[in-house]
Amino acid sequence: MKYSVILAALGVLGAGSAVAQQPPIKIGVLYPLTGGGAVYGVPALAGHQLAIEELNAKGGIMGRKIESIERDDKLNPATASSTMKELITKDKVDIVLGGLASSVGLAMSEVSKQEKVVYISTVPKSIQITTDKLHKYVFRTSANTDQEGDTMAMLAGRNKLGKICHLELDYAYGNDLEVGILKAMPKYAPDAKIVLTLKPKLGATDFNPFIPQVMAAGCDGVLSGLWGPHFVSWVKQAAPLGFFNKIKWISGGEVGSHEIAGELKGEYPDNVISNTYELWYHGNDPSHAAFQAKLAKKLNTQETPQWAALGYIGVMYTAAAMEKAKSTEADKVAEALEGLSIGTPVGKLTIDAKTHQANIGQFWGPMVKKPDRAYRMMEPAEYIQPK
Amino acid sequence: MPQRRTLVASAIVVLLLALLPLSGSRYAVDLATEVLIYALFALSLNVVIGFTGNISFGHAAYFAIGGYACAILLTTYDWPLAVSLPAAVVLAGLVAAAVGYFCVRLTQIYFAMLTLAFAMLVWGVAFKWKEVTGGDDGFTGIKLPAMLAHHVGYFYFTLAVVAAGVAALWVICHSAFGLTLVAVRENAVRAGFIGVDTRRMRWAAFTVAGTFGGLAGALFGMYHRGMYIENAFWTESANVLIMVLLGGIYSFVGPIFGAAALHLLQTFTNQYTPYWPTVLGLILLVIVLVLPDGLIGLAARFKAHRGARRGRT
Repeated sequence: MKYSVILAALGVLGAGSAVAQQPPIKIGVLYPLTGGGAVYGVPALAGHQLAIEELNAKGGIMGRKIESIERDDKLNPATASSTMKELITKDKVDIVLGGLASSVGLAMSEVSKQEKVVYISTVPKSIQITTDKLHKYVFRTSANTDQEGDTMAMLAGRNKLGKICHLELDYAYGNDLEVGILKAMPKYAPDAKIVLTLKPKLGATDFNPFIPQVMAAGCDGVLSGLWGPHFVSWVKQAAPLGFFNKIKWISGGEVGSHEIAGELKGEYPDNVISNTYELWYHGNDPSHAAFQAKLAKKLNTQETPQWAALGYIGVMYTAAAMEKAKSTEADKVAEALEGLSIGTPVGKLTIDAKTHQANIGQFWGPMVKKPDRAYRMMEPAEYIQPK
Repeated sequence: MPQRRTLVASAIVVLLLALLPLSGSRYAVDLATEVLIYALFALSLNVVIGFTGNISFGHAAYFAIGGYACAILLTTYDWPLAVSLPAAVVLAGLVAAAVGYFCVRLTQIYFAMLTLAFAMLVWGVAFKWKEVTGGDDGFTGIKLPAMLAHHVGYFYFTLAVVAAGVAALWVICHSAFGLTLVAVRENAVRAGFIGVDTRRMRWAAFTVAGTFGGLAGALFGMYHRGMYIENAFWTESANVLIMVLLGGIYSFVGPIFGAAALHLLQTFTNQYTPYWPTVLGLILLVIVLVLPDGLIGLAARFKAHRGARRGRT
């Protein structure tokens, strides 16, 4: 008798906790966390974690806590493919985010297609993800090379460039960006002529063979896809020759970000117009200040990196889509993502229902000296969003 | 002919593996598929390393050729699998024969460097020939027959192909040809004196290794539904080399254990920390300092030690 009472009580307790304790929603994420890609992957993951912390503090998604399962993609598509399969089959994640390299993004998209699990590409720009290789379960919240190329062509027209030198890195991103620029040139700068196209190798550090060629070509502007360390090396080698005195340098690849400005400091040259996803010192949306303050606290620095915003937006889209679908089922979440608009630290974004591409913009502007700063800042920073 | 004991043991292993999908764990089946593919890859490399005594630093080249060729034939040309797979394997073998023709003229470090050089050439082709290979975007969206699209179907397919490949390699390595290779490894000058054309023997071994490496690559590409230039990079060659060394180069089955141990360790390590290279460095240290003959050598020494103790009592 006594035992049965206890058993019954235990049963009631058990039932009660079963209702309250729903299993967590599992979000899998892959970024490069070691090696050369870690400079971008680690901040992106910080933004990802910040979003999950915020959501969990508010009770998670649909009242369920979020569990974040984070893995290193090692910048290697085969590793990313295996690891993503593992997240799906072993850890049973509900959705996968992340990636950085184009090849990793495409490999993850392939797994997403095979396994019928939603994948939101948060950093890769490869145009193929949302064109040739588009499928039901893949979405992109970062920019793509067509959008970036379109803006660069527009800026070439606006700055009245006549003779243009074109510099791209010889790999997927560079080749795709070149296509994007060439497609848009007739629209914005019909009279401009590309007089020289050069393609240094990915990872190149010595640009001495290229610099004199560009200087001798007599172009009044350069369209460049040299990102990160490539741009830094070019500047260090070309600036002492007076390269940047007469030539306008319009660049994609986020060399207008604070990471590059902070690295080059006083060596950052004149006449550079470039882009960045986010600026810690300038926002286009009221929610940006709060986001940036939280990120600064998390990373323990006021001058926060731009990549965090991309990781953050990926999680915010996940939450919004699941709330809208009232489900974590891949088919329903994918349907919810189509045409979904959300507010983000860089303003309101919408994912196109057909192309699965978010209309995320970038800040573009000249990098100018500031009297009270050791580094340059983008001013005025114009937020250019694709139509 | 293989001993009865070997045959029975292999049959039991294959049978046990065939029962794996009954566990119902999708993850275990996928992991086993990956391990099987790497086991064949490592085993094929050991024909060059263990049997001829030359270190190849470019084995990923044949893996990549097999993988890309099979992927392109299946997807771009829509050939059936029954034609694509053999064609890819033959192509890998032919390229290995062509490369081997030059490489076997050298030995030791010079041989290793030349294999590395040719492998980087293959990597360069995969990178630059964008229209065909997809360049550094990789070649994704490989078409597979519906039967193999399911993970269990693909596991059985891999098991069958790998088992056949291992059996073929066993026969090759234990034939007169394989024993001649060992003679060349142990003393090339003496082998030459008794009338062995050592260069031709090593050339044949190199071709065999490339052929089976290509088979492993084809299985790999179809499993991932994609081939990437990273698969042809020298780091991939180094990875399979470590598998072989870890398992033990002087035993036929050694590389199988090495491949399984290294791949599983890498997979499980990655679940806890991104610092796999540190772990890999420690493994290499242990191999070089303590386990020069790999896991198999350790097992043999352990057995000998126990036997000696039992003998005393």
